[in-house]
Amino acid sequence: MEAVIQYLLTGLSAGSVYGLIALGFYVMWSAAKAVNFTYGEMFMLGGVLTVVLMELGLPLPVAALTAIAAAALAGAVIERVFVRPFNQESNAIGWMLTTIAVGIMIEASTTATYGPLGRPLPSPLAEEPLRIGGSGIYPQELLLPVAAILITLALEFFYRRTVLGRAMRAVSFNRVAAGLVGIDADRITLLAFAMAGALGALAGFLVAPVIQASASMGVIVGLKGFMVAIIAGIANARGVVVVGILYGIAEKLIEGFLSTAARDAIGFTLMILLLLLFPQGLFGRAEVRKV
Amino acid sequence: MSQPILSLSAVRVAYGRIEAVRGVDLAVGRGAFVGIIGSNGAGKTSLMRAISGVVRPAGGTITFDGEDVTGRKSHEMVARGLAMVPEGRMVFSDQSVRDNLMLGAYTRIGRDDAGVADDLEKVLGLFPRLAERIDQVAGTLSGGEQQMLAIARGLLSRPKLLVIDELSLGLAPKILDLLFPVLTALNRDGLSILLVEQMASYALAVTERTYVMENGRVILEGASTDVAVDPRVLDAYLGRRGAA
Repeated sequence: MEAVIQYLLTGLSAGSVYGLIALGFYVMWSAAKAVNFTYGEMFMLGGVLTVVLMELGLPLPVAALTAIAAAALAGAVIERVFVRPFNQESNAIGWMLTTIAVGIMIEASTTATYGPLGRPLPSPLAEEPLRIGGSGIYPQELLLPVAAILITLALEFFYRRTVLGRAMRAVSFNRVAAGLVGIDADRITLLAFAMAGALGALAGFLVAPVIQASASMGVIVGLKGFMVAIIAGIANARGVVVVGILYGIAEKLIEGFLSTAARDAIGFTLMILLLLLFPQGLFGRAEVRKV
Repeated sequence: MSQPILSLSAVRVAYGRIEAVRGVDLAVGRGAFVGIIGSNGAGKTSLMRAISGVVRPAGGTITFDGEDVTGRKSHEMVARGLAMVPEGRMVFSDQSVRDNLMLGAYTRIGRDDAGVADDLEKVLGLFPRLAERIDQVAGTLSGGEQQMLAIARGLLSRPKLLVIDELSLGLAPKILDLLFPVLTALNRDGLSILLVEQMASYALAVTERTYVMENGRVILEGASTDVAVDPRVLDAYLGRRGAA
């Protein structure tokens, strides 16, 4: 029983990371009907840049905010340079190739400069674990679900209640119609990618004290976050976060009761089965393609 | 006569190698109510897409409000005072009627909030059915109500020229009898309107001037009353019945 609680707690935390990453994919997909496959690297930048800036002597909050701002800028640049020119025709797929390639370049150049090993990000919330029953969890790990929930609520508020958010939904719904009411769809898309970049970096920064910040930390997490977004149906913020958390918990249960080696084999199989059963995703609706 | 609000000179629109519009000259005077009629595939919608900046013309010049706007994008055209009600209406069906209307005022929000509030009240006065359904999701509206919403949304940008592409598409005559008088009233209040319409009899009845398009070209233009009795129009578009 204690073990199960432990798995649930760590699963909640790991799953929140997937949820946060999936939220970023959702934000990008909504605006562009394309995503940035370097996205795992935005997550990595959140951790790695914060560590590097702190090593240079900046205090934690300044380092973290700078890293998040840098990732937002990177997200915007990637949209402008590697997504937009390759997403002009409907059903274009060039952006897949370009963003995957750029992701590999970012990871390789980070490995070359930062080194291949992970470094700890010191956090007062990752020193003494909390004891819950017989299980232990760092307060830092509990920050992740809190962040996932707060960001989901913030995004929902943004999409429903703000002019900019409604404009983003309008672009998502029909780019031509959005242009005809005076919305600069290109600018809104750029903004969505910047938002997503910041979101990914925030997740990376929050999780770095627990997993260590390394050049390769984003690759698998980015992929799983994308999977989660697809399984959820990439249609609403709540859905992707819920699926992310559930997937994290499932992983920890498999790890605990079977083995770490079995985790991804079973986890991915589960994802594939779900996609077979729900081609539109668990919370998705039929995607209507506009020409 | 003062300078027209919109004038086109030798405008061409092409999709790849297919030329949909092959050199059109056209003018809409300030405060005028101009119609374009023609059969399906005549190039009317392509021409509207070029005027509103949805597609870049392959050639020719578009002048709006005294400035060359050829190749400007649609969001820039809205800011300059051209609103288009597109074919198929394209309301944001996942958002409420109110949010659709506010999106229509996108270029003015934060700059002219008082004016937007005034105009919102005005358009709801023009279309009371929208007022009744203000908090409904736009996708649940009937076709006619969606057309009202699309027009109202266009008006909220406070345009100098309102372009309407295929007003009647899929709408019952009863709804059209409701919509056309609103356009006439808007025009009487000084709004310039360019109406593209497949239902020639309706367009000829409300507009002052009419252009007839065929195969990407204007084949006839003139006062609507004259166009309505032109033998070619009678044959092709009015079936020799609807002459005024």
